[in-house]
Amino acid sequence: MSFTDQDEALISAALDGSARAWERLVKRYETRVYNFSLRLTGNQTDALDLMQEVFLGVYRNLHRFRGDAQFSTWLFRIAHNKAVDMSRRKYMVTSLSSVAGQEQSDDDVLDHIANDNGAHDPQRVLSTTQSNAEIIGCLDILNWEQRLVVELKVFQSHTFDEIAEMQDISANTAKTRFYTALKLLKAHMEQSHELS
Amino acid sequence: MSCHESSKLVPDYFDEALSLQQRKAMEAHLQDCADCQEALAEAKSINGQLRQWRDEPVPQWQRVPKQLQGSGGSARPRFSFWGQWAPLAGAFVMAVAVLFNVQIQVQDNGFSIAFGGAAGIDAGVIAAQLEEFENEQRAAQQQTLQVLSAQLEERQAGNNARLLETVIEQFGDSTTRSLEQVMAYFESQRQQDLQLLQTSYQRLADSDVQTIRSMQQLANYVQYQGN
Repeated sequence: MSFTDQDEALISAALDGSARAWERLVKRYETRVYNFSLRLTGNQTDALDLMQEVFLGVYRNLHRFRGDAQFSTWLFRIAHNKAVDMSRRKYMVTSLSSVAGQEQSDDDVLDHIANDNGAHDPQRVLSTTQSNAEIIGCLDILNWEQRLVVELKVFQSHTFDEIAEMQDISANTAKTRFYTALKLLKAHMEQSHELS
Repeated sequence: MSCHESSKLVPDYFDEALSLQQRKAMEAHLQDCADCQEALAEAKSINGQLRQWRDEPVPQWQRVPKQLQGSGGSARPRFSFWGQWAPLAGAFVMAVAVLFNVQIQVQDNGFSIAFGGAAGIDAGVIAAQLEEFENEQRAAQQQTLQVLSAQLEERQAGNNARLLETVIEQFGDSTTRSLEQVMAYFESQRQQDLQLLQTSYQRLADSDVQTIRSMQQLANYVQYQGN
């Protein structure tokens, strides 16, 4: 039985009310989703929250999965949407806590979100390995949109056309964001090496 | 890194969807452009460093949602599409009915719907219907009375004739005995007539009760529509 066939069998059983099948299905993808969440949020607490939202979304929409695409593709579309939802919620919280009347551009807000996740706090990245902590520190300099493009391109290996469709932007915009993110990451890494 | 092609070339390098022709053009440019070679090398390096990520183990968490915990849970929607929307549609209809004060009246020739206030009740029509109903009931009573009276007269006439015949036949045998028989016969006839009268009056009374009930129902109906 292929990986996809196993997915379909577990999905069918889960739809019929099998908690065991659902648990097995979750276990097959939870590591990928958790690490996706960890790279985006930069801390374990938010990563767990995001992962729970993703799987709850998957569970609620499982009956809509038609098998047109791979289950993993469908699942990570939900994960992407939940990540965007979370970024918007953080934006709202950030806006409410910001100085009244102070206008912020989208980039400012996204930068604020990216810098507000506490990834630099050693206490919040204790569970990560040293290399993972460095990567989180690098990604932390990117705004949310740039981080999503890097996540989808580097870690999820999506094409730019797929990223464009998921984010409702053009493929050229996705490429520009990716290139800008790489330049920012390069500058940050050079700076880190000079300091060390 | 000053080549303006770099911003296009570097992302293209990571684009698996690039056509063979585009990839050949990119490689041709790379061979002659040191800036783009450097930019691509840096991008590859960053990409490589990011891919040093080692998956973290997932902390303990609740994998099975509450809906699926225990037996009998199912991720399938419990209702069909229409079943899911039916309660909402019903609530919407009710809300519209309350907001617009919708009133529905059932009439002899169908029903009518009124919005925004009490439905118009034609008092004249109702009064005419009541009068017509009362007249029908009176006519029915009169007819019943006439039938009963006719029956009673017929019975009395028959009884009288039979009484005379019996008296004439029995008179010659014994006067005393005949008188006792006549008295007994009169008494039995009186009892029969009395029973007949009681039955007739009972039927009349039942008819009156039915009439009163019908009138009460009609009055209640009219009052309900008026409210």
